[in-house]
Amino acid sequence: MNSLPKEWIVLAGNPNTGKTAIFNLLTGLHQKVSNYPGITVEKKFGIIDLLDEKSIHILDLPGSYSLTSETFDEHVVSDEIFSWIRGENKPNLILSVVDVENLSRNLYFTSQLLDIGIPVIVVLNMMDQIQKSTLPVSVEQLKERLGAIDVVPVSAIENQGIDRLKDSIITNLNSPMKPNDKDIPFEITGILRSAIRPLFQFFTEEMKYSSRFAWAQSVRIISRKEVIKFYESGNSDNFSLNKEKLIEFKKIHSDVQKNLNRNTQDLSTLEPQLRYRWIDGILRKKENLVDLSRKSKSEKADKILTHKLWGPFIFIGILYLIFQSVFSWAVLPMNWVNNTVAKFGNWVYTAMPEHIIRDLVVEGVIGGVGAVLVFMPQIIFLVLFMAIMEDTGYMARIAFMMDRLMSKVGLHGRSVLPLMTGYACAIPGIMATRTIVSWKERLVTILILPLMSCSARLPVYALMIGAFIPPVRFFGIIDAQGLTMVMMYFLGTVTALILAVIFSRWIKMQGKSTFIMEMPPYRIPLMRSVFRQVYLRVKQFVTDAGKIILVISVVLWILASFPKIDNSQNINTSYAGKIGKVIEPIIRPLGFDWKIGLGLLTSFAAREVLVSTMATIYNVESDDENVIRLTDALQQDKNPDTGKPAYTVLTGISIMVFFVFAAQCMATFAVVRRETNTWRWPLFMIFYMTGLAYIMSFIVYQGGLFLGFG
Amino acid sequence: MNANQLNPGDTAVISGFKSEIKSKVRLMEMGLLPGTIIRIIKQAPFSGAIEIKVRDYYLSLRPEDIGNITVQTQE
Repeated sequence: MNSLPKEWIVLAGNPNTGKTAIFNLLTGLHQKVSNYPGITVEKKFGIIDLLDEKSIHILDLPGSYSLTSETFDEHVVSDEIFSWIRGENKPNLILSVVDVENLSRNLYFTSQLLDIGIPVIVVLNMMDQIQKSTLPVSVEQLKERLGAIDVVPVSAIENQGIDRLKDSIITNLNSPMKPNDKDIPFEITGILRSAIRPLFQFFTEEMKYSSRFAWAQSVRIISRKEVIKFYESGNSDNFSLNKEKLIEFKKIHSDVQKNLNRNTQDLSTLEPQLRYRWIDGILRKKENLVDLSRKSKSEKADKILTHKLWGPFIFIGILYLIFQSVFSWAVLPMNWVNNTVAKFGNWVYTAMPEHIIRDLVVEGVIGGVGAVLVFMPQIIFLVLFMAIMEDTGYMARIAFMMDRLMSKVGLHGRSVLPLMTGYACAIPGIMATRTIVSWKERLVTILILPLMSCSARLPVYALMIGAFIPPVRFFGIIDAQGLTMVMMYFLGTVTALILAVIFSRWIKMQGKSTFIMEMPPYRIPLMRSVFRQVYLRVKQFVTDAGKIILVISVVLWILASFPKIDNSQNINTSYAGKIGKVIEPIIRPLGFDWKIGLGLLTSFAAREVLVSTMATIYNVESDDENVIRLTDALQQDKNPDTGKPAYTVLTGISIMVFFVFAAQCMATFAVVRRETNTWRWPLFMIFYMTGLAYIMSFIVYQGGLFLGFG
Repeated sequence: MNANQLNPGDTAVISGFKSEIKSKVRLMEMGLLPGTIIRIIKQAPFSGAIEIKVRDYYLSLRPEDIGNITVQTQE
């Protein structure tokens, strides 16, 4: 943020206006998107290539309904905007995206943006959804009455109007606000005007606000007392007043308030009342005469999709479809990746001269990284489904249907999206909790979120199921392998919900809980946007996870290959073997031997590393020059003392159960630290998750032995 | 009457808010003002949230919150 170029613009708007689609159309692939795909929760920058070979930076702000923030996302937006009011680093232009089907509510935020003193281009999106003739006012009239510098109709879905928008950006980039722009945002008449004048004067004289913004801010601070906090020290350095000024300011505020209280019924309604009166005037609408009887297509579709009975069944059906397909459709591409990796390993083996480096490359690098790459198809499928559900608007319906149940366990309807995102990856899930208003509900959601089985556990489950669960079918339809997979997800999810109840009773914290959620219209997802999310997630997996896996694989190979005794290697006497045997006694009661122990150690960096660790160990161990298949190796491994198979079905299940609960992904806890602003919560999570993993695995393994399995 | 006494399909004009209502300002920023028409769409499964249509969009609220909105039905 500090190295911002001199010329830059900003994209703002309500949620569900297609803002992100417009951002993508404007910037193409020139984006500095945060590492975490999914919902817009971070500051995102992009570069627009304008038609005159000039390029310009654009900031995509999270969706907001108002400058007075309720959610964390909106907080980010209002902080950013207020920093322009006094700061030097102002954008040249604001693009305010509005959904043309839903003008009045969208224009509320736009009207607040118009007060700031930066030229605003209003982008009328979703033009494909309406007939131009049905607009209550013409585009020209709208521009005139709003006082926007331009109004540009576009359709992000049909890629219409984007060039026209770029033209408008070029034309208006350096146009100053005209000095005769209205110095008052909306009608503030008679008594009200004279009553709030002292605040207005304080803002113009002490804070050097423009006249228009000073009026707007005066009304805002009368409507919402908490806006005062903004000027107290320790909140926002740019605005904090010194002690004397703050006392003076508070005095003025309470005087004005007292004065007004004598005449007006309810001051908190002031800003919304005035703004909507202004907006309804612009749109020539009388809100008490509107016809609401028209049923939108989405409303008709919801007759079934959120039906009291069918709705939940359809939801469960969709979940089942996702997990079945992740496990069955992905098999073909997985086999292909597996074979390709093996062929590539063999090719390298024959192409390279016999040397220790060759062993390192084939056994360490290709064996280790390849073992994890195999699971890419499953991850792609999972992220793809999540992106489609989000972009179609179905996720909002899930929140709508689940709010009641969620609030019973101390969560919120809005916890559902983060929790389901957690099936793909906990990190974007934790960031998506920012839309939950109540801090307590948000915290509980964060605390249980890593128990949702993320895509990094998938490789571990898939490996264990492939190796130990026979591909039999019960009653001819239920596939044992698929069922085991679903059970693991179920185990994590149910435990998460039980813990939510416990945590929300245990955490003593007040917090108002409300559920005010827009139900966006169903839309056909833009494939470009869906694939971008998948691409970003996969890229993150390959680069971030890939780097960790690569380093660990190489280090592990070295530890497993040395010291060489009599020029021959024996993994049992290697460094890795020794380390593994030190921890073996601790994990023996869970049915784990030293090899799995090593895997547990390395998987603290990232869960899928278990797979590459096992692959590296077995590749080093085997005399075979080919890259071995890990499932075969696991099945054939023998206990050196007894000669029996080293691992049984029971070991496989115990490992999976351990992975359902264990705290293993350090990146997750770093994000929790950032979001909760203390080490207390991430440490608590590591503690409870590890404890739970040990206890549950212990119960499964010892219980299984007692019952005669294994 | 209170808005939670309305049935699906009913339309009514908002007349005010009870003092216990949470997030009143946010509801008004979302366009629910005295004088605004709302139509009740449905209640979510498990006696959950209530979906309404207001202005040109659909919004869902918890029953206890919607019960704090007072309305007048139109004849």
